[in-house]
Order: sequence, then structure tokens, then C-alpha cells
Amino acid sequence: MDNFIHPAYVFFLGSLLVPFLKGRAREALLLLIPVSAIFAVASLSEGTYGQATFLNMDLVLGRVDKLSLVFAWVFVIMALLGAIYSLHVKEDGHHLAGNFYVGSSLGAVFAGDYLTLFIFWEIMAFSSVFLIWYRREKASLAAGFRYLLVHVFGGLCLLAGMMLYYFKTGNLQFVALLPEGAGVAEYLILAGFALNAAVLPLHAWLPDAYPEATVEGAILLCAFTTKTAVYVLARGFSGFEILAILGVAMTVFGVIYAVIENDIRRVLAYHIISQVGYMVAGVGIGTAMSVNGACAHAFAHILYKALLFMGAGAVLYMTGTAKMSNLGGLARFMPLTMIFYVVGAVSISGVPLFSGFISKSMIVAAAHDEGRLYLMALMNLAAIGTFLSVGLKVTYFAFFSKEAPLETKEPPRNMLVSMALTSALCFILGVYPSLLYDLLPFPVDYRPYTLYHLSEAFQVLSFTGLIFYLLAAKLKPEAKINLDVDYFYRKAAGYFLKFDQRVIGPADTWWGELWQSIALKALYLKASLAYLFDQKAIDGVVDGSAELALIVGSKTRRIQTGEIQVYIGLSLVIFFLVVFLFLV
Amino acid sequence: MNLADIVDKMTKNSRTLKKVFFGWLALVVLFDVVQPRDDAHFLIDKIFLFWSVFGAVGCFLLIKVGKGLAHLILGKKEDYYG
Repeated sequence: MDNFIHPAYVFFLGSLLVPFLKGRAREALLLLIPVSAIFAVASLSEGTYGQATFLNMDLVLGRVDKLSLVFAWVFVIMALLGAIYSLHVKEDGHHLAGNFYVGSSLGAVFAGDYLTLFIFWEIMAFSSVFLIWYRREKASLAAGFRYLLVHVFGGLCLLAGMMLYYFKTGNLQFVALLPEGAGVAEYLILAGFALNAAVLPLHAWLPDAYPEATVEGAILLCAFTTKTAVYVLARGFSGFEILAILGVAMTVFGVIYAVIENDIRRVLAYHIISQVGYMVAGVGIGTAMSVNGACAHAFAHILYKALLFMGAGAVLYMTGTAKMSNLGGLARFMPLTMIFYVVGAVSISGVPLFSGFISKSMIVAAAHDEGRLYLMALMNLAAIGTFLSVGLKVTYFAFFSKEAPLETKEPPRNMLVSMALTSALCFILGVYPSLLYDLLPFPVDYRPYTLYHLSEAFQVLSFTGLIFYLLAAKLKPEAKINLDVDYFYRKAAGYFLKFDQRVIGPADTWWGELWQSIALKALYLKASLAYLFDQKAIDGVVDGSAELALIVGSKTRRIQTGEIQVYIGLSLVIFFLVVFLFLV
Repeated sequence: MNLADIVDKMTKNSRTLKKVFFGWLALVVLFDVVQPRDDAHFLIDKIFLFWSVFGAVGCFLLIKVGKGLAHLILGKKEDYYG
């Protein structure tokens, strides 16, 4: 326990003071919390801390190693950037929810056993939902409830898997699992994790909920839930082939939706699925390089995705809408926001000199080195879609295309400062990749800046640009939404209720009536037959023997006259009768 | 001159931008032709301009497939879920 200060506690305890402060002191506290957490993470050295025994289970609150540290680092950096961005938010509850969400993510990352992990996992779900509800709109309320229900389902999968795992192994240590020995317990745990990572087909909660979150809450949401899930997958399920396949499917699935969506934040939400797909695939491929790539990409992704959500959030904050069909020409009014957004867009697209180039390519190169060429080709296809939708489509239709110009201005200064800092980080990581590579769990033997890789990136991106230039009119955003698997619990559940009312309900009534008219009647018939049998047969026998006894009794009574000569005479008659019978 | 004016100027000179873009494309093509391919592992690593064609065809397909799906099944009115 020497000198171990769990960074999660900094967020939990610090945020409790927020409601008691006002003005500058409150702002200072909101910044002091993540800064202290950064120092807490910096003070950590590798080892196991905070061990306790509870009901014969060994709990570990602080497993500090390279894998947990790389996630902890980016989490606390992101917490600081998020705190700057949301400094103007007045609701204390919003800050409390945000800090508990960040704190519990750190708790999950340092957890060394499933029970500790599960507790922090659930705090994450229940604190993050407030970042959606604080938007205070009808759609947000409904989306928040759906978000919560889906996450409770995922949590229950995890809990069930944990219990089965405990009965199977006798412990709850959260360690790397092998694909060979995996059974129901392991796959239930995997499903719980996969749901939070928005792995297909458990992904629909993400593009449903995140676009309905508050402007500031979305910055945190896009960073923590999915990346905590990537961490636990990397910790427990490295080398599971199903993750490699589903991850690559996610990369392509996400961009196809991103190409057709209208709301900028929904485009970005689908891009989370796509980008987390790279990480999940990296974990699934399971080599040192691919797992390194997954961690590096998570780190880079948190920063540039937050930057993109900050840009989209700034547009929403200032104009009241994030729908591209209602936007256009914003670069004239929000040039700084546009520049920061473009930095995020080129980072996610893997443009050389920006962070995505040095992280995403590690996973693609790992697939290449393993000879998994179709995985590599699909990931490169997804990269095209990323640049097409986030880089070109959103930038062009929100900031440049001349239609529907809205008069507006740059967002508040704290938002701009946060975007500037995040942009700087995206650029610094792109230029000095070793800053990130040194944090990775395995030694890095990868150079992103080779001539071939540069040529590959420039060709793919430039020719994507050419096609966009030729077909931009086809991509004009439409004021529509697109169906996804949430259809099944949003619409199909309603249809099921109607089906229940119109078919199952009447069928049940009909069956009941049928039962009454046929089965009950048969039952009555049987009962009356039994009654008859009882009366005539059973009672007949009983009554008959009673009557016989009565008759015999009354006849016998006649001979019992009480006179001695009759008894003697009768005895003699019986005597002679017996002798006679004996002799004959 | 502030940022907004620079943006204005850029959008008004789209012909210059177009020239810059096509010049850049030519450079990219040239770069791939001259760059050494010493550590090529697979066939696709050796084909000239493979990634240019991949980028163009991939982008075209994504737009067609995406828009096709949106128009055929996925796209619904904004109040679809009520």
C-alpha cells in the first residue's frame, strides 16, 4: 500500500466539493481535480496495490502495469481537456456525473478482479447516463433510458459470466483467457465487454445515445466507455479470432453509416464504432504489435475523437443544430472551430503528421505481417470511408458549402482553448510517435514513417478526395435518419406489443373459451358420472349391506323371546340338525 | 486580414484550389512510381499505384453502397420513432 493513491478517488472525492464552491474557486477546483489525477497517475509505479479479502474472494483495486497505465494516462489527460471544455457548465450534477464517470473508468482500468471491475463498470453506466439526461430534451430522456437498459443487460451478461467463471475456477482474478479453453462463462464475460465496446451487433446504443447527450457530456462519453471496454478486451481476450472478424466488420459498418448520416454527432458516433473496430481487431489478431496498435489507437482516438465532438459540439452550442442539412458556410463565422475540427478530421483519417497515422497503421501493419490481407484491405477501405465522411463530407457541408448560411460566431473561450490543446496533442503525437510508443505494453518495433507507407496513405486519401470532388452532389445530406438494430427494441418492440394485443391476447381468450366449452364440460361430465357411480354403485353396496343387516337383525329379534323353553327347544333342533347332517 | 477573410478568399478562388489539388494528385502518382519497394512482402505491395486505384474504387463503392442502402431500406423520416 506504499504511496498508492488511486486516481479514481481523486475524481470521486474532488467532485463532491463542487456544489460547495462558486465562481473562480469552482472553476479552479474543476481544473484541479484532473490535474491532481494526472499527478496521481504519474506517481504510480508498477505493482499490485489495494488488496483485500471479501467473502473469501481476493479483491485487487490497483493493478498497475504498462497496459493499465497507458489507458490511465490518456484518461486523465482527456479528463483535463474535458474539464476545460465544460468549464462554463452551471449544473453541479453535470460535473459530478462527469467526474464519477471518469473516476469509475479509472477504477475499472486498475481493477485486478472481476468483482471490483463489475462495480466500477456499473458506476460508469449509471453516472454516464446523466450526461445524456442533462440535455433536458424529450429525445435525450428516452435515449438515456434505452442506454441504461442496454448497459444493464450488458452488465448482467458480465455478472452471469463472472459467477459461472467463479464456480469453474474458484477465483475471480481478471487475467488473460485462452481461446482454447473458453466456455459459456468466458463468452458471457466477452459479451458484456463487447457490448460496451459497441461490437456488432451490440452497438446500436452508441449512435442512439451519444448524439442526444449534452454538448459537454458527449466529449467524455465518446472517450471512456468504449475505450475501457477495449482495455478489458486487450487484458482478457487477446487472440480471440471472433474479435478480429467482428472488429474489421465494425470498421466498415461504421463508415457506411457515417457516409449517409445527416447529424454531425451521429456521423461521429458511427465513427466511434468504426475506429473502435480497429482496436477490437487489433486485440483479436493478438500479436504484440497488434495489441500495441490497439492501445496506441485507443490513446490517439480518445484525443482526436474528443476534438471532433468538441468541434461538432461548438457548432451545436452556437447554432442550435448539428444537422448538416441545416448548416453550411460556417467557416466564415467560426474559422478557428473549423481549423480545430479539420485537425481532428485529418488525425482520424490517418493523414501523415497527425496522430491517427501513427496508431491506426500499427494495427493494419500487424494484419499485413500476419498475412491477414483481407482484414488489412477492409481496414484500408474503412479508412477511405473515414476520410470521405468525417474529413470531407462534414467539413464541406457544415463549414463550406454556401447554402443556408447561419449568422453565428466562435464558441466560448474555454471551448476554443480546449480544442487548441487537443489539436496540439494530435499533432505532437503524429510528429513524435515515440512519446506514445514508449507507453505501450510491449516493446515497439515499428516505424510509421516509411516511404511506402507515406505513399500508400497519400494515394488512398488523395484519390478519395478526387472521387468526393466528382460525386459531392450525390452526398448532399438529407434530413433523414437511418435504421439500425435498435429498430428491434424501439419499433419492433412496439409492433410486438400490438401483436400481443391483437393476436396473442385474443388467442389467449379464445383458448380460454375453448377450454371452458370443451374441457370443462368434459370435466363436468366425468364428475357427474363419478357422482352416479358413487350413488348407485358404492352407496348401493354400502346401503345394501346395511339393509341386509337390518333384515337379519329384525328376523333374529323374533327368536329372541326371552323365554327359556324356546331357547332350549331351538338348541335341540339345531343339535339334531347337526347330528343328522353329520350322519348323512 | 483576419481568418474569416482568408476563408472567404479561398472559397472565391476555387479555380486556383482546383489547380493545386490536381497538381498534388500528379505528385502523389509520381511519388509512388519512384519510391523504392525493397521491403515488399506481398503482390499488392509491388503493384504501381495499387492504393490509388484502391482509394478511388473504394470511395466510389462506399458512396454507392451507402446511398443505395439509405434509399432502399435504411432511410426513414426524422420522426420515424415518434
